[in-house]
Amino acid sequence: MKIVVCLKQVPDMESNFKIIDGKSIDESQVAFKINDFDNYAVEAALQLKEKNGGEVIIVSAGPDRAAKDIRQAFAMGADWGIQINDPAVQAGDNFVVAQCLQKAIQGIGGVDLVLTGVQAEDDQAAVTGVMLAELLGMPHCTNVVKLDISGANMTVNRELEGGLNEVLEMSAPAVLSIQSGINEPRYPTLPGIMKAKKKQLDAKKASDLGASTDSKTEFVKMFFPVSDKKAEIIKGDPATAAKALIDKLKNEAKVI
Amino acid sequence: MAKILVIAEHRDGKLSDGTLELCKAAKTIASAMGCEPAAACFGKDDSIAKEVAKYIPTVFCVADAALEKYTSDGYAQAAKAVIDSQDVKGVLIAQSYDGVDFAAKVAMAMGAGIVSNCNKVAVEGGAPVFTRNTYNGKIQEQKKVKTDKFVATFEKGAYEMEAAGGAGAVTAVSASISNVRTKVKEVIATMAGAVDISQAKIIVSGGRGLKDGDKYKDVIIPLAKKLGGEYGASRPVVDSGWTEAARQVGQSGKTVTPDLYMAIGISGAIQHVAGMKGSKCIVAINKDPEAPIFNIAAYGIVADLFEVVPQLMENL
Ligand SMILES: Cc1cc2nc3c(=O)[nH]c(=O)nc-3n(C[C@H](O)[C@H](O)[C@H](O)COP(=O)(O)OP(=O)(O)OC[C@H]3O[C@@H](n4cnc5c(N)ncnc54)[C@H](O)[C@@H]3O)c2cc1C
Ligand SMILES: Nc1ncnc2c1ncn2[C@@H]1O[C@H](COP(=O)(O)O)[C@@H](O)[C@H]1O
Repeated sequence: MKIVVCLKQVPDMESNFKIIDGKSIDESQVAFKINDFDNYAVEAALQLKEKNGGEVIIVSAGPDRAAKDIRQAFAMGADWGIQINDPAVQAGDNFVVAQCLQKAIQGIGGVDLVLTGVQAEDDQAAVTGVMLAELLGMPHCTNVVKLDISGANMTVNRELEGGLNEVLEMSAPAVLSIQSGINEPRYPTLPGIMKAKKKQLDAKKASDLGASTDSKTEFVKMFFPVSDKKAEIIKGDPATAAKALIDKLKNEAKVI
Repeated sequence: MAKILVIAEHRDGKLSDGTLELCKAAKTIASAMGCEPAAACFGKDDSIAKEVAKYIPTVFCVADAALEKYTSDGYAQAAKAVIDSQDVKGVLIAQSYDGVDFAAKVAMAMGAGIVSNCNKVAVEGGAPVFTRNTYNGKIQEQKKVKTDKFVATFEKGAYEMEAAGGAGAVTAVSASISNVRTKVKEVIATMAGAVDISQAKIIVSGGRGLKDGDKYKDVIIPLAKKLGGEYGASRPVVDSGWTEAARQVGQSGKTVTPDLYMAIGISGAIQHVAGMKGSKCIVAINKDPEAPIFNIAAYGIVADLFEVVPQLMENL
């Protein structure tokens, strides 16, 4: 099986974010990592490869810094990858990214399965996988929490609200967006990390792929949320704060 | 007049709450843009479309045996048929499991820009400006579309639910639904478990900030017991197997409304908050002062949970 995993590098959400001119975040303050949901997609692909043979290819659109996390997926066991490293793509929207991913995947040829995460933790859009399926002309399923494949036939569980799953049948080639909890992503081993350094990572620009960089949406500005319900922060060292909190819960909120 | 079109969502003959919220959104957005609100409803017959017509004046119904159950191919084709037969300016879809599964497909079919996961819309110079959460809720952004038409999906709770009362008109739209590439076999429950935390008056929930399963058990369970309550968890805690799925709170878990909900080492992602924001008193303990959970909590302590929780235990 030839399996492509679309992987996005995102900031660690515990970072202390600073916004520059309402336009972008200050990257010098931020640590980057693999989008959590994509980590599950990488693991799902590796398990399929272990069972059915084949190869796992990482495709990622991101700047120079993204190479670190593409190689992290190599260290987990992915075979090779394509990095779409292009400022024009970086400035584009999900549609631009989806088109680049489409062209890169078509360029690989003979791909049986494309896996994405359910959403990127930074833009929280949850649209790229569905757009990609549409562009590739493949069926898709989002929020996949279980996956059984035999030949081209797949049985997938799609998560629904309130602990329900919809069980679907579909056939490959297809695009699946993988939800967290479907597996336990492995940690890279030391030999894996050594091998990862030598694996092939092709660099592409949108023009190499023949993809347009025209967005369909436009970013206006970013800002920190203002809440009219902001919590009363209880100050002091842990002992003082804990005492004060219990006092408030007993005497003010009267809930304990 | 151009239409702002809601795509109705239903399961087992019941309209989703999100659809009623979208009816309210459509009315608000349409009046600001000089458009009219309408809805589209797909099913094996027009019974649910008639239900939708209580909330919005115009409903377009595509009835077809192939639309008995939701599929992304079926919904995208039916939506396209309605959009092609009408003057549609914008399409509103819920950011629900089904919504996420087909909204971008509709946008692609229309050649329109999509802004997903919105929580607010302002109309400036006749064009909608959408506000949405990014970076796990720590930052908000505004986006517009560059295309003439738009598709937007909305977070649950972005608008109030529209009240029933109207008697709108249902108009049939014909569509040929073909080549549906996914086949629904069944819907199963996966969260069966002995515990039912939804009845508890006090819930102490732990999140990824607990670091590992042993620490979750050592820190969260004794505090819950001492308070005479139940213990709960965010999704990553369940994904990692630190506790059972029946204790997960949120969009894909339980909805709870206890008197006291303590969120410990939980950031406050929208999908978690969806399951607990109705709690009477919310307490957050988190070392990150910018964690979004503090935007909905009554009381907060910004500190290392491993230092604070033992002190709580001592003072109880
Ligand atoms: C379709 C969908 C459905 C979902 N359904 C759910 C759902 O039902 N329920 C749910 O919970 N999530 C759900 N999620 C996941 C959700 O988006 C978040 O990823 C998740 O809620 C984050 O869990 P968390 O807060 O425990 O972890 P994180 O976001 O990683 O937060 C951990 C927090 O712990 C704090 N912390 C770390 N160490 C310490 C310390 N020593 N002391 C104090 N604080 C510390 C950090 O500052 C951080 O704020 C869903 C996601 C999707 C896409
Ligand atoms: N820049 C990117 N490079 C590779 N894959 C991406 C990129 N952006 C999004 N994806 C994939 O699409 C999924 C959904 O992202 P989004 O639609 O941005 O929420 C992610 O989990 C990734 O698998």
